[in-house]
Amino acid sequence: MGLCLNRQPCPLSRRDMLMGSGIGFGSLALNAMLTTESSAVTLSPSIAKAKRIIFLFMHGGPSTLDLFDPKESLKKNNGKPLPYDKPRIVSSKTGNLLASPWNFKQHGQSGAWVSELLPNISSITDDLCFLHSMHCSNSRHGGALLELHTGSDTFTRPAMGSWINYGLGSENNNLPGFITINPPSSHGGSGAWSSAFLPPRYGGTMIRGNSKEMKIPFINNPLGDRSKQRKEIDLLNALNQEHLTKHKFNSELESRIESYELAFRMQMTAPGIQDVSAEPTHINKLYGADEKPTAEFAKQCIMARRLSESGVRFVQVTHRYWDSHGNLRGEHEKLSKEMDKPVAGLITDLKQRGLLEDTLVLWGGEFGRTPVAQGNNGRDHNPHGFTMFMAGGGTRPGTQYGSTDDYGYHAEKSPIHFHDLHATILHLMGINHTQLTYRYAGRDFRLTDVHGNVVKDIIA
Amino acid sequence: MSLLGTSEEKPAKFWAFIAPSEPIAPNVQNAEWPVNPIDNFILDRIERAGHGPSEKAEPRKLVRRAYLDLLGIPPSTEQLNSYLENKDPNAWSELIEELLASPMYGERWGRHWLDVARYSDSNGMDENIAHPEAYRYRNYVINSFNQDKPFNQFIIEQIAGDLLPAEDSDKKREQTIAAGFLSVGPKMLACDDPDKMRRDIADEQIDTTGRAFMGMTLGCARCHDHKFDPISIEDYYGLAGIFMSTKTLTKYSVVAQLHHHDLSTEGDKERRNEITQLEKKISTKGIEEDTKKKLQDEVSKIKKDLSPPYEVLAVTEYPTKDVRVHLRGDYQTLGDTVPRRLPPAIAGQIQHPMPNDQSGRLEFARWIASEKNPLTARVLVNRLWRWHFGRGIVPTPDNYGTLGEKPTHPELLDYLALEFIHSNWSIKSMHRLIMKSATYQQSSFADESIKKADPDNQLFARWEIRRLESEVLRDSILFKANLIDLKMGNSMLTASKHKYANRDKLSEHIKSNKRTVYLPVMRSSGYDGQNAFDFPDPAMINGNRNSSTIAPQALYLMNSPLIHRSSNALAKIHKEATTNVSISNKINWMILHILSRPATENEISRTEKFIHTYSTDNELDAWAAFARTLFASNEFLYIE
Repeated sequence: MGLCLNRQPCPLSRRDMLMGSGIGFGSLALNAMLTTESSAVTLSPSIAKAKRIIFLFMHGGPSTLDLFDPKESLKKNNGKPLPYDKPRIVSSKTGNLLASPWNFKQHGQSGAWVSELLPNISSITDDLCFLHSMHCSNSRHGGALLELHTGSDTFTRPAMGSWINYGLGSENNNLPGFITINPPSSHGGSGAWSSAFLPPRYGGTMIRGNSKEMKIPFINNPLGDRSKQRKEIDLLNALNQEHLTKHKFNSELESRIESYELAFRMQMTAPGIQDVSAEPTHINKLYGADEKPTAEFAKQCIMARRLSESGVRFVQVTHRYWDSHGNLRGEHEKLSKEMDKPVAGLITDLKQRGLLEDTLVLWGGEFGRTPVAQGNNGRDHNPHGFTMFMAGGGTRPGTQYGSTDDYGYHAEKSPIHFHDLHATILHLMGINHTQLTYRYAGRDFRLTDVHGNVVKDIIA
Repeated sequence: MSLLGTSEEKPAKFWAFIAPSEPIAPNVQNAEWPVNPIDNFILDRIERAGHGPSEKAEPRKLVRRAYLDLLGIPPSTEQLNSYLENKDPNAWSELIEELLASPMYGERWGRHWLDVARYSDSNGMDENIAHPEAYRYRNYVINSFNQDKPFNQFIIEQIAGDLLPAEDSDKKREQTIAAGFLSVGPKMLACDDPDKMRRDIADEQIDTTGRAFMGMTLGCARCHDHKFDPISIEDYYGLAGIFMSTKTLTKYSVVAQLHHHDLSTEGDKERRNEITQLEKKISTKGIEEDTKKKLQDEVSKIKKDLSPPYEVLAVTEYPTKDVRVHLRGDYQTLGDTVPRRLPPAIAGQIQHPMPNDQSGRLEFARWIASEKNPLTARVLVNRLWRWHFGRGIVPTPDNYGTLGEKPTHPELLDYLALEFIHSNWSIKSMHRLIMKSATYQQSSFADESIKKADPDNQLFARWEIRRLESEVLRDSILFKANLIDLKMGNSMLTASKHKYANRDKLSEHIKSNKRTVYLPVMRSSGYDGQNAFDFPDPAMINGNRNSSTIAPQALYLMNSPLIHRSSNALAKIHKEATTNVSISNKINWMILHILSRPATENEISRTEKFIHTYSTDNELDAWAAFARTLFASNEFLYIE
């Protein structure tokens, strides 16, 4: 079996690790694993289609009413009051109904409605699975963002990427299993990629900056001379081996010796995988990496694909900042332009490489926006009903699932709470969400807490 | 209610709810070995398992262990030699006294407590607001450990210090600062529902207080009776009334603001009043230029003597109120009102009613800190044991409930708990007792047979080696490179209260040479290197840090700025300290300096080759590389 210092390759190896001694987790971490073994994951290979996830997070809350959810009643009643009460708890004061300023058309065989803001996504709707009845509990960015990423808007809990790595481990031991590219530093910050009470190795690795400078922490050797560092590690190995003869049966010391070799290899492989400049022209074109408004997000999407195909289990890319309280027309037009081509490019690219089958792509924000206007050109936060979409990873392509009410305010038909989304994602990865547990502070915690229903109808 | 703790009623069955009773130290076969009763309890179990204890560790290993354990840095070569040359039979005791008297002791052990107090210089969660005054609480913790403040007093101050009588303004400040314990927790500060917010804050306080001092997961009973422990939903809301009568925030609307006490001197308060009055006059319409000038001069004169406001982040009181049970935790579905009270399963059914004019926090604090509380002393001595040995007598130090693990040595736990109470809750007395025991002084080179029979060291029949914590690692490297700045730190935050913490400053903070305990702890972010070495999430209490072995740690030790600047600095020191000596002496100096032991012949010949082949033009680089290698070695990274 392979070396499993940073992430173990698969659940099997956890069992191996428990039986063997010299494989290499810290003894305390091993204890943590032992105590949770009784409630560890059961995989259902027959339903496990997705091996990895790319989450395209739209920070700020895109107005999906203006992207994927056109409403005839809203159009007709523009400027009139909402015919029912507004929610008890809201984030800002709003006025009357505001029709979408953009035109919608149906696309593809599935006939999905997409607004004119997203011409590229319009062209791939038959690969997408729309969830039109999303809702969550918190009307503020921080709360909703943490709810989306961790299942809790109240307490510090592990991120879904951490849970998934805890459940499945990594496919590549030379890379972290959970990488988040340019995540928000506000609204929860590392809470969105933290392992919380899970062992720290399941936490996300954050890389920030532009696509050229974003690096795994401390991956660069400041000597700039690999052969010198090799000499240091050789001497270190000799010193450590001599030391080890006095401490037999200590797997922790052994694994630390191995960890330097792993780090040395990681140093060699990671920068290459992250280097998006090696991509051919037609790929750059496909994502829009060759033109102004799309270039930066396109490069991040390419990097996400490269990390994902190298075996990083959970990759998140964040696009911001969709919080259009006051300038909906201007901001949403600009943001859509930046996001549309890279996202469509990524899904098309995954498909042509045969990766879409076992890669789950998830697109969406922490909430949507209200059908009622804030000012005359803005919309407030709306956690009560909005759209997200998935692609690949065993989802049914060309699906329109659920709906909001006539005005697009509340999820009405087949509502999907974030807990249900989490349960469904885990299900697609072959994990029963009620069985992925970790004992902490006297109880067995789950990503879905005591909630969550798998949305079976969207599964292929 | 059938689980009652009072003596006149049916006693609780669960071990942790029965008050400790004075255990008798068992007789052991190897009667020579025990130094104090700890050893009788430990050896008894080792012997019953058919084994013997490990040898005593070599003196140089013991010195290094004591320094790292009590101060969080290794000894210098001089400190090492002075111990090795001390032939006094009391040398070990003297060393312990010397270390306990060092201000660095509080920085090391205070940091342990800060893990439990989920201390942070920023809120984290949804809105990462700076806590620029929180450092006062951190320094209070450090000072309390250095003063060996009786721990029962330390507990009361942290839960209700703002309510204690104070003989002078310094005492008032100190006690109020202590109550920052309740304020520094993580909170959702942007919430459109203030009622939910107040309840969530009270819940976080109940949960942290219960686990920190009593190992009880009281928070589990918020929505339903505790599934495993005898805490009912009514018991929870009895406590919730206390914390709902406590004021943590002054503003609930988005973004919410934390309550601060203004504990400026009376003189300063008066001066500030005067300034306000004068400024009002200055800004009146039609004021003559001359008068204005005069008044302005007066203002600047007053300002000269004025110190910045002395603000303290801590809770205060609200009007008292009993609360109703929230069915399924939902405040819109209310049940019966529960009077504020202590959990009956531990405190008994018969209780004094809580005061009408105060929250009851002080009563709650005094009950926790009472010698009659069956949990508190046990929980605390177990924490100390965990921090000394890497593993608690109760292996789950934050959970003494049914789902926690049972003590491996229950009589020893009770013995220590009662000793602790008898010593007037003196932490330093416990260090002396533990460190003087033969158990503590065992070697880590144990028999293979016992390592196989007891891989988790449940018998404590050897010293289990353990990796340095992230702070100890950083401080040790800075110390060995002679870069460390040992002055006590204040706040490094530049943001003022209620403003966002600036994460971009983290890369500046980490360049500081101050001890790591003085670097701001920021929730929802943090220092990559510190996090890689298992610095715990500061949003949650953690009395049992993880110790993982992951590749990012290796990357840090190979490539971080800290390791490179420290090894370069040390190479220069080495050069000056070893002019005109042979290469083998040079190698020996470095190994002795970093690992506190002389070099072996193997190491000398291997390193000689390394130095000669590493760099043909710059020998200093080669010595820096050698220092780096030693810093990354297992021997440096572990306490043996």
